[in-house]
Amino acid sequence: MSLSKENKTTHFAWLKHPQNFLFFKIFIWFWLTVIGTITSLVFLSNLAINQVSNEQLQGPMLKNLEYAAKSFERIALKHKKSAADILQHPRLAKRKLLYLNSDQPENSITSRPPASDIDLSLVNFTKNMSPQVIFTENFVAFGPIKTTFPEGTFYLYEIDENNQPPFLIRLKLMPIWLKIAVALVASLALSFVFSRNLIAPINHLKQAANKLSQGDLTARANINENRQDELGILGREFNSMATQIEQLIAAQKRLLADISHELRSPLTRLKMATGLAQMQAEDKNQTYLLRIEKEANQLDKMIADVLQVTRLEAKSQPLSLHKQSMQVIITHVLNDAQFEAKQSNKTLHIEGQLNVDINCDESLLASALENILRNAIKYAAQSIYIKLTLTDVINIEINDDGPGVEPQNLARLCEPFFRQSDARDRTSGGTGLGLAIAKNAIAAHAGHLTLHNQTQGGLSVHIVLPINEQP
Amino acid sequence: MKLLMIDDDIGLCELLSEYLCAQGYEIECVHDGELGLQTALKHEYALILLDVMLPKLDGFDVLKQLRQTKLTPVIMLTAKGEDFDRIFGLELGADDYIPKPFNHRELLARVKAITRRIEHITSLSNTQANKLNVNSITINLAAREAYIDESLLSLTGTEYEVLALLVKNAGDVVSKEQISEKVLGRRLAAFDRSIDMHVSNIRKKIAEHNSAERIKTMRGTGYVFIQGE
Repeated sequence: MSLSKENKTTHFAWLKHPQNFLFFKIFIWFWLTVIGTITSLVFLSNLAINQVSNEQLQGPMLKNLEYAAKSFERIALKHKKSAADILQHPRLAKRKLLYLNSDQPENSITSRPPASDIDLSLVNFTKNMSPQVIFTENFVAFGPIKTTFPEGTFYLYEIDENNQPPFLIRLKLMPIWLKIAVALVASLALSFVFSRNLIAPINHLKQAANKLSQGDLTARANINENRQDELGILGREFNSMATQIEQLIAAQKRLLADISHELRSPLTRLKMATGLAQMQAEDKNQTYLLRIEKEANQLDKMIADVLQVTRLEAKSQPLSLHKQSMQVIITHVLNDAQFEAKQSNKTLHIEGQLNVDINCDESLLASALENILRNAIKYAAQSIYIKLTLTDVINIEINDDGPGVEPQNLARLCEPFFRQSDARDRTSGGTGLGLAIAKNAIAAHAGHLTLHNQTQGGLSVHIVLPINEQP
Repeated sequence: MKLLMIDDDIGLCELLSEYLCAQGYEIECVHDGELGLQTALKHEYALILLDVMLPKLDGFDVLKQLRQTKLTPVIMLTAKGEDFDRIFGLELGADDYIPKPFNHRELLARVKAITRRIEHITSLSNTQANKLNVNSITINLAAREAYIDESLLSLTGTEYEVLALLVKNAGDVVSKEQISEKVLGRRLAAFDRSIDMHVSNIRKKIAEHNSAERIKTMRGTGYVFIQGE
């Protein structure tokens, strides 16, 4: 449950602190760069006139226009006709629109009335230039050619009313807000795709690493096989590393299982042979056979303990979780301990109760408590005090009145096979693994075990277990 | 009485044969899963001792395939401390399990507990047919069969014994300790789930025919077979 909650918060964390996320950094910087580039380009290009654009007129079009201007001049001189008469001759009406621009706008003449959406004044600015092609939104004009008529000087333009300006020019003619909007949307989409493409493999890596660390060894980063850049390589390296780890752990587990199987097979045979021998042996040999049986049992217990510690440390022990009353578990363990204590003339003082259900592997938890109690009984002088308290967690305190442990050894007490040098006796039948099992078993239930010396002497073991009723 | 032992440990098989022969059993040994399954299907045995780690076909697969056709009692031999294995074995319909390395006396006790029932039936079938009928469950004590509304429940030997015990004591709580001692022939170890597993298997099999609850769990104590109207 706590896990899903965590996930939820990480899911929305980027909303709170986007600056902490690489994706946003890359996205924002890239986007800003693109926007900056585009806006500066747009701005620069708009320093020129925004509605009209022009370029030098060249080639046959220029020749034609010059020829037309010359003919008009000649006709005007020869036939003494006014500019208006020449231009508005019916023969010209069917051809392209011609426009004679005069310095006085009211004197300007067209070969026929232009369409309503044509604003001829747009070409005025070119009057003093060499002949140009002038692109406007609705027409293309060619000119000016300076033409002299008796009534004054005109500038001749040919107007192509139907010609749409080319695409690039149309783009150039778009209103500035539209240009910026298009640039914004396009760069937004581009930057998003770019940053996603960059960040997605990192996120896949993160998820895979997370799953791996939580014990899902089959987790792999979802990286495109064809990706050749550094991230692609990193992803594949990560995946091959994960495969390596998976194989190593599988091999180790198999080794553990093999050891347990291989060591136990001869042990089983040994026990069986002892059984057969016991059936036939004379009474005087029975003690030796009993001794063999006892040693075989001790060996068996040690193998089991080593395997359990290894499995618990590797977190590969499958927990069989059940809802169980803590009081039931503790009563069972305490009953056994009471019996053991009585045999060595020591007493157990129990205080408090734990009437709470917890979801646990009861036999594992019981064996943890048994190991701690056995240890306490072994080292106690006379009494063992057990204090059970229930707050929002389960507290179990086990104190003995023995010699305690040298402070520098406290931390090492839970290491497998650690024994204090002055207490290196194996007569008690312990395997040296009891506390290691206890510590790991409690850790497997998300609890923790702490050891300290009491001020009045004697070791104190404090166990804290969270109460989680969810399976 | 003929037993089948399926274990790849030839030395252990020899020793065990010798030991069980001395106790009056006849024992046949095979050393791989495939052959073991074939042998178990071909002949009738009073009991099968089945190792988990086997060449060719592992113990669980042997059990799974055997249970499709036969209900011969099976004791699984598992490596000690592997809780998962045990539960899985019982779920598949094993009658009991013994962790390796086992004590010869313990093994003998378990074998006796399970084979004793068969002797018991033969003696019963000599007398008249003996039937119990409670809450639409019929127990045929002579044939060792349980029926629900006339249809046969395919129970393993242990499941049958547990159900028969509960039906015999219908209406009364039968503790897990009692069930363990009467059916498995051993004291219930602390936190042992095997009785729960058998009961859960029985419930599943009954529920295939009729979903009404018949076996009630009394938490911390045991189980009750509900008498019905």
